[in-house]
Amino acid sequence: MKKYFLFLSLFLATTKVFAQDFPYGNVDNDALAMTKYAKDTSAHAVYINEHGKSRIARYDDYGIRLYYEYHAKIKFFDTKEFENKGTIEIPIYSSDGTVYEEAKNIKGITYYIDDNGLTQAAELDPKKIVTVKDSKHWSTVKFAMPALRKGCVIEYSYETISPYLYLFQSWHFQDNIPKINSEYEVHIPGLWTYNVVLNGFLKLTKNKAEVEKDCFSFGSAKVDCSNIVYGINDVPAFVEEDYMTSPKNYKSAIRFELKEEVNLNTGSKTQYTKTWKDIDYELKTNEYIGKELKRSSFLKERIAPIIANKTDSLAKANAIYEFIKKNFKWNNNYGYSSIDGIKKALDTHSGSAGDINLTLVAALNAGGIPTEAVLLSTRENGFINKLYPNIGSFNYVVAKANIGGKSYLLDATDPLLPFGILPIRCLNDQGRAFSLDKPSYWIDMNTQQRESVTYVFDLTLQNDGKLTGTYTRFSGGYSAYLRRQKIKKFNSLDEYVEKFGEELNKTKITKYEIANLDTLEKPLGETYTIEIKEYDDMKNHGRFSFNPYLFNHITTNPFKLNERDFPVDWGMPSMDRCVLTVHLPSQFVLENPPQTVAYGLPNNGGRFFTNFEQGDNQFTFSYGLQFNKSIYSPEEYGYLKELYNKIILTEKNELIFKRK
Amino acid sequence: MRGILFSFLLTIVCVKGIAQNNYACDLIAKDLLPYASVVVRNEEVNIEIKDLDNVIYHIKKVVTVLNKNGDTKAGLSIYYDKITSVKTIKGFVYDEFGKSIQKIAEKDFDDYAVSDGFSLFNDDRVKVYKKAINQYPYTIEFEYELKAKQSLHFPSWQPNDETGLAVEKSAYSFTCPVGYNLRYKEFNIPSKMAMSASKDGRLKIYKWQVEHIKALKNEPFTPIKNTAEIKLMLAPEKFVYETFSGSFTNWQQFGKWMYDDLIKDREAVPTETANYIKQITDGITDPKLKAQKIYEYMQHKTHYISVQVGIGGYRPFLASDVDKDGYGDCKALVNYTKSLFNVVGIESYYCVVHAGRGEKIGMVDDFASIQGNHIILCLPFKNDTTWLECTNQKMPFGFLGDFTDDRTVLACTPEGGKLLHTPKYTADNNLEKRKANFVISATGELTGDMETVFKGTDYEDREGLIAEAQADRIKEVHRYYPINNLEIEKLDYKQDKSIKPTTTEYIKLSAHEYAAVTDGKLYFAINSVNRTNALRQMQNRINPVYINRGYTEEDEITYTLPKGYRLDSEPLNKTINKNFGSFTVIMTLNGDKLTYKRKFQLKDGTYSKETYDEMVDFYQTVNDADLYNVALVKN
Repeated sequence: MKKYFLFLSLFLATTKVFAQDFPYGNVDNDALAMTKYAKDTSAHAVYINEHGKSRIARYDDYGIRLYYEYHAKIKFFDTKEFENKGTIEIPIYSSDGTVYEEAKNIKGITYYIDDNGLTQAAELDPKKIVTVKDSKHWSTVKFAMPALRKGCVIEYSYETISPYLYLFQSWHFQDNIPKINSEYEVHIPGLWTYNVVLNGFLKLTKNKAEVEKDCFSFGSAKVDCSNIVYGINDVPAFVEEDYMTSPKNYKSAIRFELKEEVNLNTGSKTQYTKTWKDIDYELKTNEYIGKELKRSSFLKERIAPIIANKTDSLAKANAIYEFIKKNFKWNNNYGYSSIDGIKKALDTHSGSAGDINLTLVAALNAGGIPTEAVLLSTRENGFINKLYPNIGSFNYVVAKANIGGKSYLLDATDPLLPFGILPIRCLNDQGRAFSLDKPSYWIDMNTQQRESVTYVFDLTLQNDGKLTGTYTRFSGGYSAYLRRQKIKKFNSLDEYVEKFGEELNKTKITKYEIANLDTLEKPLGETYTIEIKEYDDMKNHGRFSFNPYLFNHITTNPFKLNERDFPVDWGMPSMDRCVLTVHLPSQFVLENPPQTVAYGLPNNGGRFFTNFEQGDNQFTFSYGLQFNKSIYSPEEYGYLKELYNKIILTEKNELIFKRK
Repeated sequence: MRGILFSFLLTIVCVKGIAQNNYACDLIAKDLLPYASVVVRNEEVNIEIKDLDNVIYHIKKVVTVLNKNGDTKAGLSIYYDKITSVKTIKGFVYDEFGKSIQKIAEKDFDDYAVSDGFSLFNDDRVKVYKKAINQYPYTIEFEYELKAKQSLHFPSWQPNDETGLAVEKSAYSFTCPVGYNLRYKEFNIPSKMAMSASKDGRLKIYKWQVEHIKALKNEPFTPIKNTAEIKLMLAPEKFVYETFSGSFTNWQQFGKWMYDDLIKDREAVPTETANYIKQITDGITDPKLKAQKIYEYMQHKTHYISVQVGIGGYRPFLASDVDKDGYGDCKALVNYTKSLFNVVGIESYYCVVHAGRGEKIGMVDDFASIQGNHIILCLPFKNDTTWLECTNQKMPFGFLGDFTDDRTVLACTPEGGKLLHTPKYTADNNLEKRKANFVISATGELTGDMETVFKGTDYEDREGLIAEAQADRIKEVHRYYPINNLEIEKLDYKQDKSIKPTTTEYIKLSAHEYAAVTDGKLYFAINSVNRTNALRQMQNRINPVYINRGYTEEDEITYTLPKGYRLDSEPLNKTINKNFGSFTVIMTLNGDKLTYKRKFQLKDGTYSKETYDEMVDFYQTVNDADLYNVALVKN
C-alpha cells in the first residue's frame, strides 16, 4: 500500500521564483475558442487553471486564522458538467455557533460568445449567493454561475477564513474532469509545522519552497515563514472502476497534518505527531479511550452472572460477546472513542462503534480474556497513512480477543455477527492493535474470513416434465451473516420463503426448513422441497436439453474493461460450490456426459472446476468457483477476466436427456 | 427542589401514559401482522383554521415498529418550512409489553435542510428523531403541532400510502368556523365522513376515520397510488399565502388566480433580446416554425436550476432574470419561453402537470387544488396543439417523452384555467426495432453489425449515452448488450429531432469465443441483444395489474454459420397472444443462414389481478426463448 502515499520533504530555497495566482478577470480568447481538450478528447469540461493559497496569519489582536483563497477557470465543451461544475458549493463548519468558518469575497464571471458572435462577460450577482444551514454544524454557501452555454468559460474565486488550524486545507489535484494546471501555495509561519503527504500516482511537476523573512510577528518577536508551492500540469480526469475500494485511496491530492505548534504566549512546543510509543501513551491516558478501557469494576459485576458457570475461556468470551451485542443498539456512527463513557452507553443501550467495541474490549478483559482494541480505517474511509505514526486515518475500533494462542476479531455493532467475523467495512488495509500493557503493533485486516456457499440439489425428472426434489443452501462464514441479515428483515420465515420463492423462476417451494438461524457459529442451512416446471411437454419429444447451472447461471462477464488501473478489491476470499444430482426416469438416458474442466488463476489465486459422475439412471454434476485472495492487482486483472470468460463458455454446454 | 419536582411530574406523566392506553404488541390483531413492518396503532391529525393565515395542525401518532425495515417507515420526521413552524414535540417510547422506556422531547430530534437532490436552494427543513431502540418490536407515541401561515394548500390524508404498513386506526379531522367553505374529494375511503359542531356552535368539525387496514406488499405492475388507495384531498375556497390571497372553487377560477397573480406581470424581456428574437424569426411565416426557432434559442441559452422558496414554489422568476442568468426552474423556463413567444405574437399556455415516468398522474378533473409538480408549455395552434418541455436542452421541439405524456394538465390562461390532455404515445408508437447481420466463424468468433431504431418514448432510451464522449459511450453500450467479449469497432448515433423523433444506433462489433466449440459441437446464445427478464411469481396478490406504458420490440438477426453444421436442437418457434401483450419468435435455418425473428409487445391498460399469473407465464416463456442456446453438430 505504501506506493499510494508519498512523504514530502522540504528543500527551502531563498531564490525569488515564486508562484503567483493567475490574473482574475481577463478574457481568455484561446480558451473560448477551444472546441475540445487535445489531451483528453472525451472531456466535457477542463480546468484551464486552478490556484489555491493557504496562509496562517493574524485575524485581530487576539486570534490567528487560516486563510484560504481559491481561484479557478473552467472551460465547458458541452452542457454535461453545468450541474456539477457550474454550481459552486463551499462547505462551512461551525463548532458551536460562536466559533465558525466564513466565506468571503466571492466573485465570478462567465465568458461566452453571444448570438451575434461577440465575446461577453456576465458577472455573478452577489444577491444570488445563498447560504443553507444543512445541520447543526454544517452550512453550505452556494451559487450558480450566470449565462452558462456550450463553449463558455467560467472563472470564480473566494476566500475562507477558519479558526481551525489543525484542519489545514487539503488540495485535490485530481477531479472527474482533467486540469491543465493546478497549483497550491502555502504560507506557514515557523511556529507551526505540518506533515505533508502526497496521495495518488501523479508526480508533482512543481515543488518550490522559499523562506520569507519576518513574515509573522507575535509580541515583539518575529518569525520567518515557509512559502511552498505544489503544482501538477496536465492532471488527467479520475475514472472510477467497479469493485474498487474508496477512490480516495488513488486520487492525487496533498494533505497536511499538524505536527508541532509553538504556543504564542509561553513559547512552549506542543507535539501533535510523534512515535508510536508516544501515541500508545496518549491513547492509554486518553479520557475517552484508555481511561474507559480501565473501567472494569462495574463490568465485572455485570458479566459475573453471564460467565458464572463457564470455565472455558472461549465459552466465556462468547458469552460476553453475546451479552454486549444484546445490550447495544448501534447508532450507525463510527469512531474509536467513547465520549459519554462506556458506562452511560451501556446503560442507555445505545452507542457508536467506539462506545460499543471499547465496552466489549473492557468487558472481555474484565472477564479474564486478554483483549486488545484494534484501531482501523473503514473501507470508504480509505487506506491508512503509515508514513509516520499518527492516528489521523483511523475511524473505527474492533476487539481482538486472544484465546489459547489464537486471536479473534470481534465487532459487537450487529447482533447477527458471529464470533470472529467482522463486517466488510472493517476489512481494509491494516489495523493497529492497542492494549493497556503492551506496545501497539500492526495487524492485517484483510485475511481473516471468507464467503462460502454450497448448493446441493437432489432432483428427479418426473414424467410430466417437472423436476422435483430438494434444494439445500449452506451459507458459511460471512455469507451466513449476509443471509441472516436478509432473513431477519422479514416478520416471519413464511414471509421470507414466500419472497425467496417468488424470485426463483419456474419454481415452486412446497416445504422448507431453516437450520441454525440463531446459532450464529454454525453454517446456515436452508432446505427447500421444490418443483421446477422444466419441460411443458414430455410426450411429444425425445430429446431434452438441460443446463445444469440452475439458479446460478453466469452469462455475462462482470469485468468489461480491457485493462484496469486499480486493484479489484472484494474484501475477502470466497468459495461457491454446487452439487447437483438428477435421477432420470427409467426410459431416459443422458446422451452426452459433459467434459470436466478445471481452470486456475496464477499463484493459486483461485479456480473454477467441474466434476461429473455417472450412475444407473442418475448422475451427479458438481462445480466450484473459488477466489483465494481478497485483492487482485491490475496485473492479475486479465486472468480474472479470462477466468470468467472460461466459466461463461463452460456454462453454455448443455446436457441432453434422450429417450432410450 | 426543582429537580425533584420535575422528576415527580415526569413519573406521573409516564404512569398516565400507561394507564390511558395500552400499546402492548400482543394486542395487535394477528391478521394485521403479515407483510407489515410497522403498525400504526393510532393516528390523529386535526387541522384547525384559526384564521386564513393561522392554521394549526395537531398531529398525534402511535406506531409500533416490528422489525428493522420499519425504522424508516415509522414516520418520525417532521417537515416544515419558512411559513410553517413546529411547536411542542413530545412523546414516549414503549417496549414490547407497552411499558414506557423513554421520553421524547424536541432535543431528541436533529434538524436538517431537506435536499431534494436537484434544488440549488429551497427552504424545506426536517426534524428527524435520532434515538435508537435496541429491541424489536417497540412502540413510539409522539405528538406535535405545526403552525402554518398559509391556507392555500392542505396535505392529503393517505393513511396507508406505503407498503409494509398496517393501520389499527387513523383519523383525519378538519375544524373551521361554520362560515368557512371546505372542499374535499374522497378516494376509496371505506367509511363515511362524520360532521359535528363545537359546543358553542361556532365551529364545525369534519372527521374521517379508517380502522383495521392490512399492510400492502410490493407488487409489480401496481396501479397508480394516487387514485387506487385510500386518500382524501382537501382544498380551501378562500385562502391566504404570504402576501397573496384569493378564492376558487373550480379549475377555471384557480387557473385565473395563477395567471393574474403569479404569471401575468413576470413576462417582460429586455429590448435587446426581443429585437434578437424578431430578427431570427424574420421572414418565417409559419408560426410553428417560428416557435421552433425560438424554442431552440431558449434551449441553447438556458439550463435547469431549481430554487424553491415560499411563493417562489408557485411563482416563476422574472423572465428578465432568466434572460440575464441563463438558468431557472421549470416555472421560470416555461415563463421565459412564453415571454419570448409573446414578442412575436404567438399565444402559449403555462401548464401545470404531474410529471413522472413510472406513473401517469393527471390533475383530478373535478377537484381544483394545488396539484402537480412540474410546468410545461402548450402552443394552442389550431388543430395542431403543440407541447414543449422547457427544462431540457436536447428535447426535440414538440416532443414530451414519457415524463409528461398522456395526462390531464391545467393550462393557466388569461381567461382562467382549462384542463387539457397531453398526447399519448401508444404501444405501436413506442418502438425499438433492430436488425443485425452476424457471422459465426468455425472457432466461435462473432462479427457483424447491427442497427437499432428507437421511436416514440423509446426515442430517449439512449439519451444519456449519447451525451457521453465516444470512449465512454463504447464502455456504456456494453450494458445493453450482454455479449461476452464484446468489442465495439464502430458506434454511431443519429437523431432525427422532428416532432416524431427517432434515434438510430449503428454498431459494428465482434466477440471472440462467442460460441463454444467442443467435440464437433457448436453452442451459442441466439439472442444476446435483447433479453427480457422473467417476472417474479407472486402469491396472494391484492392489486389488479396496471401497465403504465405499452411498447413494441422487433428484432431480426441473421447468422451466417460455419460450413458443415446442422441443427442439434429443436428450432425455436413460439407465438403467444394475450390481451396484455404478444410474443412471437421464429428461427429458421436455410443452408448456412440462420434467421431469428422476435416480436414482443406489451399493451398499456388495467387488467384483473388474475392476469398477473398469466403474465408470469408469458414472461417466463419469453425469458426461456430469449435464453435459448443454439446447438449445432458437425455433419
